[in-house]
Amino acid sequence: MAIDCEDQELLDGFLAETTELLEKLDDDLISLEKSPEDADLMNRIFRSIHTVKGASSFLGFDMLVKVTHKTEDVLNRLRKLELTLTPEIMDVILEAVDLVKTLVADIKGGDIIERDLEGTIGKLIPFLSENAVEATVLAPVFAPKEEKAAAPAETPAPAAEPEPTAAAQAAQPAPQEPKAEAKAEPAASQQVAPAPQPKPQPVKEPQKAPAKGGGDDLADNSTVRVDVKRLDDLMNQVGELVLERNRMIQLHSDYQTGLNPAEFGDDFGKLSKRLNFVTSELQMQVLKMRMLPVEKVFKKFPRIVRNLARDLGKEVDLVIYGEETELDRSVVDEIGDPLIHLIRNALDHGLETPEQRLAAGKERNGTVVLSAAHEGNQIVISIKDNGRGIDPDKIAKKALDKGLVTDEQVAAMGTREILDLIFLPGFSTKEQTTDLSGRGVGMDVVRTNIRKLNGIIEIKNEVGHGSEFILKLPLTLAIIQSLLVEVEKEVYSIPLASVIETMRVSKKEFHMIGGQEVLKLRDSVLPLLRLQQTFGCNEVYTDRDTCYVVIVGVAEKRIGLIVTRLLGQQEVAIKSLGKFLSNLPGIGGSTIMGDGRVALIVDPIGLVGGAA
Amino acid sequence: METALTKVKSEEYGGELIQLVSFNLEKEEYGINVLMVREIIRMLNITRVPNTPHYVEGVINLRGKVIPIINLRKKFDLMDSDYDKRTRIMVMEVVGELMGFIVDEVSEVIRISEKEIQPPPPVVSSGIEQECMAGVINQAERLLVLLDLEKMFSADERRLFSNVA
Repeated sequence: MAIDCEDQELLDGFLAETTELLEKLDDDLISLEKSPEDADLMNRIFRSIHTVKGASSFLGFDMLVKVTHKTEDVLNRLRKLELTLTPEIMDVILEAVDLVKTLVADIKGGDIIERDLEGTIGKLIPFLSENAVEATVLAPVFAPKEEKAAAPAETPAPAAEPEPTAAAQAAQPAPQEPKAEAKAEPAASQQVAPAPQPKPQPVKEPQKAPAKGGGDDLADNSTVRVDVKRLDDLMNQVGELVLERNRMIQLHSDYQTGLNPAEFGDDFGKLSKRLNFVTSELQMQVLKMRMLPVEKVFKKFPRIVRNLARDLGKEVDLVIYGEETELDRSVVDEIGDPLIHLIRNALDHGLETPEQRLAAGKERNGTVVLSAAHEGNQIVISIKDNGRGIDPDKIAKKALDKGLVTDEQVAAMGTREILDLIFLPGFSTKEQTTDLSGRGVGMDVVRTNIRKLNGIIEIKNEVGHGSEFILKLPLTLAIIQSLLVEVEKEVYSIPLASVIETMRVSKKEFHMIGGQEVLKLRDSVLPLLRLQQTFGCNEVYTDRDTCYVVIVGVAEKRIGLIVTRLLGQQEVAIKSLGKFLSNLPGIGGSTIMGDGRVALIVDPIGLVGGAA
Repeated sequence: METALTKVKSEEYGGELIQLVSFNLEKEEYGINVLMVREIIRMLNITRVPNTPHYVEGVINLRGKVIPIINLRKKFDLMDSDYDKRTRIMVMEVVGELMGFIVDEVSEVIRISEKEIQPPPPVVSSGIEQECMAGVINQAERLLVLLDLEKMFSADERRLFSNVA
């Protein structure tokens, strides 16, 4: 069923505003649970839901009105201290907010789907039942406003949105318009409340909301809000650039007419310096406009942690640092899922139950610290818990039981390698698959997404004291710092984000283990890959006995790439190779060098995958 | 260009003029619909791309866009020859993507009437795959092979292109 809304602009505005309000609402509700006495907070929540209700009734979204209305009623009672906030009430309110989100998502998707509202509304109603009279005292205060808002929509309603009304009329013996009910309800919510019940609504995945809730908020990425100040700065920079261009043209014409040939070199030098400055500024500005605070992802976690903790019977404090850290939109979109899995793991596997914690001499509440920070050209996100940590022996045993590794393999592994086993698809320490965990998918998702972003995962672990997962991600995907290397006279560029170290090695130090060239590096054994062979370059230098090894890391894996020489570090813009050449193994794209030539960008993911 | 080629197929639809860019490969003359050709450039530095079919010469930087370059000699299994000052890259739009094709020489733009296009002969001696020939143009002194590059990059070919490694 398509939405027949005459004023598309109005609808867009509604969607944008509502989405924003709902995002904020989640956050506020969780805070409210922690500090139920905060009247300001309470009022803010109330206002949010009221605004949503008003706007949806104006636009004639009846289902939305119904849910928000009931939620508002419950909140109102809370606000007036007729009810005290319990986790149970909060559960229901959150469920209602989820339902509202689903409905809004439907509207956004352009289709109004009949959803089961009664389940949620039914849960809200009991909280209205006691002292219903008092509950309605305040109602008239906002009811007139409500009526005004609803009035213009009232008359064209049957024509404008035939589907909900028609459905209602067909289903209800008394052809009462849902809108009328909505208006009548503030006066006597309790009596009217059962009225919508007989409406047989097709039950379509009523529980879909919580599952969807996670990734949805970020889906709306087609438009960007940019600070006007940033835009002004950008305009300034462009002005500078135009100036420099004019200087360049001037310089060139001076040169051609033979004026001051001696000073040309000097002037040109100055010009290129300024040009360099202006373009890098410009680049920064544009990058900044693509940046989003990581808060966008982080803010849904208090909610998730709360629900999980309740489900698991654990007591958890979530501490968030650095949510103002900014990173590229494309990265923000991708890290949501891995973080959810990591947090889930921290709660499910990492933290103990209150009893276990007390027995181990720890405080009752477990703590999960989620933090983000810039570190050079990377963003570092860490999820740290003070739970029981990961027991390598247990991991090794589980992996053996599941047949993911062999005895010999385990024997040859260091602690690090054993911990890396948790990323294997199908690995799980859970005996029983629950709806929370146990399928061995989560960490695989983490690894896949982090790889996609050219990121690195590190695990810090202390048995008995907790574990920390550290994700190191590049700030942006469009322009990257890269290491230029030469492989037999061909230039390749390796994303610096995945480079861990480089070293000059004599060829004598290479060893062969099972057909695989390796290098002993400090306490670990590093598999090697000759780029010359992988990329089939003609061998030009045969007489050299030293070469360079670039050690790259992808997610949790490390590999050494053998190259002829290192050329230096450069910031490069990634260019796609087009759809014909998009799936080349080991090649992630291309970039254009200072001299106009194309250099290929090595894709460490492809290489590591191929070598492992 | 789509229209021109479909018209070629329906023979009775004669009379309309189409323009072809003619180019040489191993002394044979080929024609391609002018609407497909974006530009014709001289040889540039080509960056080799590993693990691609042998006829993919590499990629070039075309004013900030990276486009793949195909050596038509290699593609048609003709003898490889060195590039000289007449060698050109014809940049064309094939199935929505820009691509460059290396040819020995680009000669001229000719106008022909659609009636002059004959269906390709059943057997062609050179290595050109039958399916990328759209027809043959037989003028007094010359014989032109009309190419259909879209067909050259049939679905199969494209898959091969990316999975050949």
